[in-house]
Amino acid sequence: MKAKAFEAFQSLPMPTRKNENWRFANISSLSLDEYDFTRSEKPTDLQELIEKSDIISQPSGQIIFADNHPVSMEPINDDLKAKGVIWEPLSEALQNHSEILKKYFMSQDPHLGSEKFAALHSSFVSDGYLLYVPKGITIERPFIANHWALSEKTALFPHTLVIAEESSNVTLIDTFNAKSESQKNFICAFNHIFAAANATVTYRSLQNWGTKTLGIHINSIITEKDATVNSLSVNLGCQHLRSENQSVLKGEGSHIEMLSLSVADNDQEIDQRTLQLHQSPHTTSNLLYKNALLKKSKTIFSGLIKVAKEAQKTDAYQTNRNLLLSEEAEANALPGLEIKADDVKCSHGATTGNMDKDQLFYMLARGIKPHKARELLVFGFFEEIILKLSDNELADYMRELIQTKLQSK
Amino acid sequence: MITEPQAINIDQDKGNFQMPEKHAFDAGVGINEGVLDYISDVKNEEQWIRDFRKNALRTFYNKPLPTHWASKDLETINFDKIRYYLASGQTPKRSWDDVPDDIKETFDRLGIPENERKFLAGVEAQFDSEAAYSNIKEAVGKQGVIFMGSTEALMKHPEIFRKWFGKVIPTGDNKFSALNSAAFSGGSFIYIPPGVKVSHPLQAYFRINAENFGQFERTLIIADEGSEVTYMEGCTAPKFDTATLHSAVVELVALKGAKIEYITVQNWSANVFNLVTKRAIAHEEATVKWIDCNIGSRLTMKYPGVILKGRKARGEVLSIALANDGQHQDTGAKMIHAADETTSNIIAKSISVGSGRSTYRGMVHMPKHLKGCKNNTECDALLINSSSRTDTYPSITVRGNKNSVQHEASVSKVSAEQIFYMQQRGLTEGEAMSLSVNGFVNDLTRQFPMEYSVELKRLIDMEMEGSVG
Amino acid sequence: MSQLEIKNLNVSIGEKSILNDFSLAVPKGEVHALMGPNGTGKSTLAKALAGHPDYTVNSGEALLDGQSILDLEPDEISRLGLFLAFQYPNEIPGVSIANFIRAAVQARLGEDDDFVATEYYKNLYQQMDLLKIDRTFTSRSVNEGFSGGEKKRCEILQLAMLNPSYAILDETDSGLDIDALKVVAHGVNTLKGENLGILLITHYQRLLDYIIPDKVHVMWDGRIVKSGGKELALELEAKGYDWVKELATANAC
Repeated sequence: MKAKAFEAFQSLPMPTRKNENWRFANISSLSLDEYDFTRSEKPTDLQELIEKSDIISQPSGQIIFADNHPVSMEPINDDLKAKGVIWEPLSEALQNHSEILKKYFMSQDPHLGSEKFAALHSSFVSDGYLLYVPKGITIERPFIANHWALSEKTALFPHTLVIAEESSNVTLIDTFNAKSESQKNFICAFNHIFAAANATVTYRSLQNWGTKTLGIHINSIITEKDATVNSLSVNLGCQHLRSENQSVLKGEGSHIEMLSLSVADNDQEIDQRTLQLHQSPHTTSNLLYKNALLKKSKTIFSGLIKVAKEAQKTDAYQTNRNLLLSEEAEANALPGLEIKADDVKCSHGATTGNMDKDQLFYMLARGIKPHKARELLVFGFFEEIILKLSDNELADYMRELIQTKLQSK
Repeated sequence: MITEPQAINIDQDKGNFQMPEKHAFDAGVGINEGVLDYISDVKNEEQWIRDFRKNALRTFYNKPLPTHWASKDLETINFDKIRYYLASGQTPKRSWDDVPDDIKETFDRLGIPENERKFLAGVEAQFDSEAAYSNIKEAVGKQGVIFMGSTEALMKHPEIFRKWFGKVIPTGDNKFSALNSAAFSGGSFIYIPPGVKVSHPLQAYFRINAENFGQFERTLIIADEGSEVTYMEGCTAPKFDTATLHSAVVELVALKGAKIEYITVQNWSANVFNLVTKRAIAHEEATVKWIDCNIGSRLTMKYPGVILKGRKARGEVLSIALANDGQHQDTGAKMIHAADETTSNIIAKSISVGSGRSTYRGMVHMPKHLKGCKNNTECDALLINSSSRTDTYPSITVRGNKNSVQHEASVSKVSAEQIFYMQQRGLTEGEAMSLSVNGFVNDLTRQFPMEYSVELKRLIDMEMEGSVG
Repeated sequence: MSQLEIKNLNVSIGEKSILNDFSLAVPKGEVHALMGPNGTGKSTLAKALAGHPDYTVNSGEALLDGQSILDLEPDEISRLGLFLAFQYPNEIPGVSIANFIRAAVQARLGEDDDFVATEYYKNLYQQMDLLKIDRTFTSRSVNEGFSGGEKKRCEILQLAMLNPSYAILDETDSGLDIDALKVVAHGVNTLKGENLGILLITHYQRLLDYIIPDKVHVMWDGRIVKSGGKELALELEAKGYDWVKELATANAC
């Protein structure tokens, strides 16, 4: 399978800007020549990294990856094990649960332009994890996976596969970090979530790779009848991030929420493409992407709501808000709709502008110093999303990371 | 119980009739340098125009169809089967009495001479490739306003024409602007002297009568400093089984403090490919407003634009598109901000009926180092039947923190409850639907000159009749 | 002398001149009321003193305890001790009242001062109780979705928390029903004292039934045309603003 995938990778053309899915994108930085695709030694001296991965208390399970290797594993308790919950690195799951992987591994095709990178991922992925929640099981505490890039120029292929069976309920968190702030890596991460009938999956991701990293993150969600997936991602790291988030509302009455907040600075490029594909009636989706842009940074938000002929009574919303905080930042918004059913409620909105002058004056008039007032306003801008986390530990962790980035020179 | 509305084809369009063809000038079928020479010869054109046409033809050959984003339907156009120049003569008449009977009857049936008497400052009527009639009210002419066909203007006012021609829309802007630049004939030329405010609209009427034909008019309007003008154009053609091509290029220049309002009511028959490039340059404190109503055609692709070149310039596009069975209205707007404190406003409303498809494409661009620029965009789509389709593809680029943009779009349907309510008051379902649709576009049509909003309402009523059953 | 002193102040917005040689002194410890019809420049005075960038000061002086504030940034003026209660307080989505006031309090701390969160909250809750503000308000975004009365109470809460030397209350009474007005007036009465000078900008005499001013000034066309004791407000109420116009014309002759 890997050989075939590599063949596919080599035969597929690199994206060009002529392709609508890559409009406005900086194609030249996609070159992969510099990266190390072959590093295989298992990292050592991991104490610091394990400590830094301690973000939430009492997770249901935790895996820490360093340079593609699972280096620390907090297994699930016996009770969950007895109920049939699976929480394993892919390398183990391949031995123990090959039937599940056969059915689900890389089975959601990319719709947003990254066919070539899907092939690349398939040919190089060495590990990742599988979370399988059987029918009717509700798991209170979240699962967490921490993906670390340790050595310079290593290529990483994180892989998340979540299968939530009928009427199950689970939460999981992926964090993506580099050992040193200005690290350079190539990341090609895939995350696939399957929510079976009436299941609820809550997914959080926190991307804070090194500032010289080229990151490609492809997220894909499928919901069956009456299933709900709430996803929220925070993007801080990378020199050039390409993030694709596709949601396929396959079953009637299903719901997907897609939230994102990003802080871009220096000459960072954050390129986000989204798809809300409504295939069945009574499906609802809600997307809110907020970006704050500093210095010479650039963001691209290209979103599409697609409503199939059959998907009557769809409600779909898409909102992109860009806060431009410097004279040199550039925000691109391409919010799209393709509607083939008539009895739908769909809307999109995009706004781009600086912070409100009057709000700023009001704060200054209370004696708050200008830099602090601006910081508070940026936080206020993001708070709408952070409040949706409904997990204080995680919310505080995210606030702290955002603050660090806002204050960095 | 309210039944699912059904779309029915409408052919009661008042423009659907054809006069027998009797052209004195015919460049034959297909396009090549020989055809361009023929056009230049009959028009007695200077060398620079001949060169311009031939260069454009090469650009046309070299440019691919934009099918990587646009409709694949473009591939069905056979450029070799189209006739590029058909005319009875090159000099338009100044009086309707002198216009040949068949052409006069055409425009009589379309109500043009009657409108001219009632409320217009000047009229030009183009029949296939050339203007058959062109006249401007004496009082307006005395103010120094020039209003004539572009063929005539090239001969009489080359100094103004050449200065601005092709400057707003370069030949190579797109494949169809290149084709127009090669084969252009007809269209209006307007010059408004400084400070002159033309109180009544100037109107052009474009009629395609011939089958397998391409109309390539070229319009150039220059409003000098502080002047004001309203220009209106209408278009119809009989319905043929074969494809007809209409590919115009319209360039507007609003100099300092000038105002141009450009109104289009496009009602081509359902076999016409309407692929038009329209763009304006607005200098300091100038205003350009495009009012663009697309009711007819098989495929329309048209995105009127304004380049906001001078400080405090303003651009507006108000657009209404109605896509009935088999139609695709691919319309939108472009706003290129290039100076401080420029503002732009786009309001686009589309209605998709039966298997009709309406698409909005918009581009808003604000480069860095500008300040105080604002754009507001609203796109609303109304879907009438379950097989109707709508798409929205805006593209917004903002650099720097001293400008602001907001974009909103929504999709809705005519509510069954609303229709029921009106039926309970005694309206038929069709009447109720018409009323709803007119209500949907009402806040836009109120901004149109009265005569045009009445005409638009009539067209919508006609299109909606039989859209339900 | 400890006072807020304004001397021959000329202020314009764009090309339009609003304040014309405006002069006024509010000593610390006193309450002054500034009355006048709409459009006469009362709010302009407030915004200009607070350093709003849209207002241009063409000439004149404004001194806070002898220190000129006209060239200072808005936040510097605030920290120096001038508080403005806004006529239309801004909504700030996503920033909670607790965090907002906390940031303002922290901005006033010296380098060696420590911020003590427990004391801060104790003080905050105390002031909130005084102003009959529900404790759940602290986690709500600043002014977002507040009623008119809630916004004005929130302004007084900030006044109480920031301990300024001088406060300008710009039409804090307008749009309030009588109960809300009493709450706001009670708050102001509790805060007033020898360490605070207050300038009440108001359109209505009604407020002065609840907050008794030491002096009343009547404003017309960008300057004060008459000053007097608290009885002037009643006279103004009885004679109406047309009388002010007459006064202004008489002064000019």
